[in-house]
Amino acid sequence: MNDLLTHIGYGHFLVLAAVLFVMGVAGVLMRRNALIIMMSIELMLNAANLTVLTFARMHGDVSGHTFALIVIAVAAAEVAVGLAIVVALFRGRRHVDVDRLNTLKH
Amino acid sequence: MTFVTTDMAYIAPLLILTVTGMLLVIAESFFRGRDRAGLMGLAVAGSVASFVASVVLYRQLEPGSSKLIFDGMLVADRFGFALTGLFSVITALVAMSTPAHQREHGWENGEYYAILLLSAAGMTMLAQAAHLVAIFIGVETMSIGVYVMTALRRRSRRGNEAALKYFLMGAFATGFLLYGMALVYGAAGTAELAQMKTKLLATANPEIAIAGILLMVIAFGFKLAAVPFHMWAPDAYEGAPTPVTAFMAAGVKAAAVAAMIRLFGQYLGGDVLPFGAVGWASPMVIIAGLTITVGNIAAVRQNNVKRMLAYSSISHGGVMLVGLAAMGLGSSTGQSSLVYYLIAYSITTIASFAVVSWVGSRDRERLLVDDWAGLGQKHPAAALAMTVALLSLGGLPPTAGFFGKFYVFKSAMDVADNQLIWLVAIGVVNSAISIYYYLRLVTAMYFREPTEPFTPSRSAPLEVVMVLCPIIILAMGLLPGFWLGLGN
Repeated sequence: MNDLLTHIGYGHFLVLAAVLFVMGVAGVLMRRNALIIMMSIELMLNAANLTVLTFARMHGDVSGHTFALIVIAVAAAEVAVGLAIVVALFRGRRHVDVDRLNTLKH
Repeated sequence: MTFVTTDMAYIAPLLILTVTGMLLVIAESFFRGRDRAGLMGLAVAGSVASFVASVVLYRQLEPGSSKLIFDGMLVADRFGFALTGLFSVITALVAMSTPAHQREHGWENGEYYAILLLSAAGMTMLAQAAHLVAIFIGVETMSIGVYVMTALRRRSRRGNEAALKYFLMGAFATGFLLYGMALVYGAAGTAELAQMKTKLLATANPEIAIAGILLMVIAFGFKLAAVPFHMWAPDAYEGAPTPVTAFMAAGVKAAAVAAMIRLFGQYLGGDVLPFGAVGWASPMVIIAGLTITVGNIAAVRQNNVKRMLAYSSISHGGVMLVGLAAMGLGSSTGQSSLVYYLIAYSITTIASFAVVSWVGSRDRERLLVDDWAGLGQKHPAAALAMTVALLSLGGLPPTAGFFGKFYVFKSAMDVADNQLIWLVAIGVVNSAISIYYYLRLVTAMYFREPTEPFTPSRSAPLEVVMVLCPIIILAMGLLPGFWLGLGN
């Protein structure tokens, strides 16, 4: 077990983050449910956080760690607003499918 | 790391807006129903105080000097304070245009003014940002506030739809911005913009740096509604309450450009085409050309005035990107012409949306071009204000819009080896096309008979905005020298 951990380097974390980010982007582009899109966006933010933390560890720089904490706080604020908007939308329409939002002219 | 108390003086505009915003949250509980318009007074007072602080700080600094504050998190220079002053004025004007619209359309939410000022505080942070974290916090403070303001008409189906589209696209852009920042931070080993360029040029992983910078270009493209990242903008602009649309079109766009000037123009500039040292110039130039053209062509087909102004504002964002590319490619006049353009564009946009808001009322929002027929006969003053704004948007002399475009294109011509000459050609051709759709509204106002009586939503503060903005537009057009010097 110990041996395994020594073989995990910064590169693994960066690749994991990149994969998470791509999954998030694909989710936003492909899923039509507003809640799932928000979850995919969270995945993107977490991928970015993981990248920041890996680089902060790599450079031995504490400010990167504080950056990650700030991102977590801001992401929480953003999600709070987003969920409120989704709830307001659901009350009027009984669905949160972004493809069926076409009151505004295209 | 030390905390220098005197640095606080240099963020006076930010502090004033934040504290007034918080006071407004408290004050909101003491104002009920109709009295809520009283909150507008406090919001305007806070914005004006922030404007005065910006002017004082601006005059205190030498031209060209810049001082890093809070351990390189923010920077104090004349450019920054010119923009914090602009954002304060935008906030005051938007606050003044709001009560009439709230009264007519029944969304008298008191928290609106608090969110407006806190969002403006985020903009002032962007104007002074010198660190990736400061840019991130500024962008988010501004955007989250605007999402809420867009969604304030809770029972309006169109309002909800606009808010959700705006939120999802904005949050998506945040993901790109953050991942881009993470990669750039990793390649440079620092998040301070002042050291970033030298570190990026010396990095062992230029591909990571370039990927990060491209992601940040995409993210700002979303915030600025640049083509091909503009799909949300017309819907969000149409569905949001008109004063909020004005704030989105004038303030958010200007703040995004301010952050881009800091990041790409000042700190990562000196790039050369085709791909350059840090690799943002070519994508920016292509996006600029696309944005000007697509925005304009789509605007020609619009019958809804708000949507037409939305597409026209997309196209104006393209002109700003031209200035930005010129600045990054070493044009010495790029920054001052961009500041002039931002002031001209913001004031003009607020003027046009103020008239849109005035013409409509509870019964008829009057958003179609046909609804404006005969306004010139019935309400010549309002028609004149709209005409000045439209001429300025179209870039006709003697308005601010003409000199704005002129200076930006001139700075693009200053770039070595005529690298941007074709971009200037695209811009000039599109300016000519844009006059068609602006004049369509002007002809409807003056040369067609009114089909039904107008029922404008009268309100003294809104009318002050409709008088003040055209005066500034003409003053900027007649005396461009003073305004052009602000950005140095």
